[in-house]
Amino acid sequence: MRRIVLARIAVLAGLLGGWELWASRRDPLLYVPPSRVWPALGRVLGLDAYPTLVTHFGVTALEVIVAYVLAVGLGLALGFALGLPRHVGEIYEPILSALYAIPSVVWYPSLMLFFGLGPASKIAFGVLLGFFPVVLAVLAGIRSVDPHLLTVARGFGAGPGTCFVKVVLPAITATLLAGLRAGLALCVVGVLVGEILGARRGLGYLINYAYGLFRTADYVALALLALVLVLVIDGAAAWAEGRARRWTEGAA
Amino acid sequence: MDRGRRVSPGRRRLLQAVSIGVLVAAWELAARAGWVDPLFVPAPSAVAGAFRVIGPEAAGVLGETLGKTLVAYALAVALGVGAGLLIGGVRYLHDVLNPFLVALYAMPKILILPWILLAFGLAATPAVVYGVLQGFFPICLLVAGGVRDIDRTPLLVARSMGATSWQLYCKVVLPAVLPAVLAGMRLGIVFCLLGVLVVEMFGGIRGMGFLLVSLANAFRAPELFAATALVSVLSVGVVLGLERLNRRLGHWR
Repeated sequence: MRRIVLARIAVLAGLLGGWELWASRRDPLLYVPPSRVWPALGRVLGLDAYPTLVTHFGVTALEVIVAYVLAVGLGLALGFALGLPRHVGEIYEPILSALYAIPSVVWYPSLMLFFGLGPASKIAFGVLLGFFPVVLAVLAGIRSVDPHLLTVARGFGAGPGTCFVKVVLPAITATLLAGLRAGLALCVVGVLVGEILGARRGLGYLINYAYGLFRTADYVALALLALVLVLVIDGAAAWAEGRARRWTEGAA
Repeated sequence: MDRGRRVSPGRRRLLQAVSIGVLVAAWELAARAGWVDPLFVPAPSAVAGAFRVIGPEAAGVLGETLGKTLVAYALAVALGVGAGLLIGGVRYLHDVLNPFLVALYAMPKILILPWILLAFGLAATPAVVYGVLQGFFPICLLVAGGVRDIDRTPLLVARSMGATSWQLYCKVVLPAVLPAVLAGMRLGIVFCLLGVLVVEMFGGIRGMGFLLVSLANAFRAPELFAATALVSVLSVGVVLGLERLNRRLGHWR
């Protein structure tokens, strides 16, 4: 184990070192070695270069939160509406899977037309991306419910409500949690893609702005910041997933 | 909830077609009755008419986009399958490199897009580079996972019967990882097309992505819908085709 960790550190060091050597001999406008990223990161985080960083960050965070709430709400509603009645899911799930096979970004221009260049189009794109994993997870989860369990529960006199809470929900929790986590990751990506493709505020806008001014080191620093945001959100989602899973398994 | 008998495939297809037909009819009705603003949501009949307007232009532009996608796809599949076989097959490599692969897979590639355009210019190269970047990681991770998950028993049996490692690879390992490779290829084509479209939208001066954005900016909603539908139908067709191929190869194995 220790040897593997050492090897990983060596790979990382090799990558950073190689990048440093390679980049420092090239056009500084295009290639930013790590040694120039650190000062840029300090400038960006110290709010010297971009005093409005916090505002832009807040705009992005708000867009992600709104998009995720809408995506989960719509996804759960449609998923249960299609999955719970007999046979309905069987008919519509292939259509949803087929829609999921379309490269999502083709919808973005239409969303831009509907919602303009403001936050609404970013939220809409985040919803569009985050919605599919949630719906598909609900449908897949319901499909995996053992029909014998339902028959037995009903035989013991359980009503539809009891069946849902005691049989369906515990059976779909694991699939649903994975879908919720994938949906969150895609919501974040959707908002960032929307902002980079054209916005006036937000982290993606700031990244574009720095790049447009050829402040390449700042651009790398801002992109790293966005990457950390993504990793932190996904880490938090993984933690929440683990907690929720343990909690439901304890209850079952 | 009670599954009982499943709906027969023919009936399922019929119900799917009817549902889509009803949806389109309702949309047409809503547009005709003026419940939606035709500036933003044109009627299906207007979209169908727009096909004739942009058809020739869209076909040429789509060809260009598909060309870039195919180059990116070929590269992503070659690199992804190669790296996946290597990383999945050599345990030490997998242990060392897996966290890097997972992190790179999770990273929103859009963050590197501005730099790719800066570094590779505005011609076809950045679209291909970004398409490969999008397609490589899912293919590589799926193939590596597939190699690691193969059943070890046939390997042991074949080895004890004196198979050489080359025979082992061709007769046991390759057929066993084929499903993972095909799953990666199915996922990869969508990612590659997505990557090419994003680059065309962001910095392109040509291609389908650029056409979509310029139609949106010009508020030509019927043409925009028609172009969007064209790409969507094409993409669904390719993915379903790959799935069918996958099933057929499954029978053959």
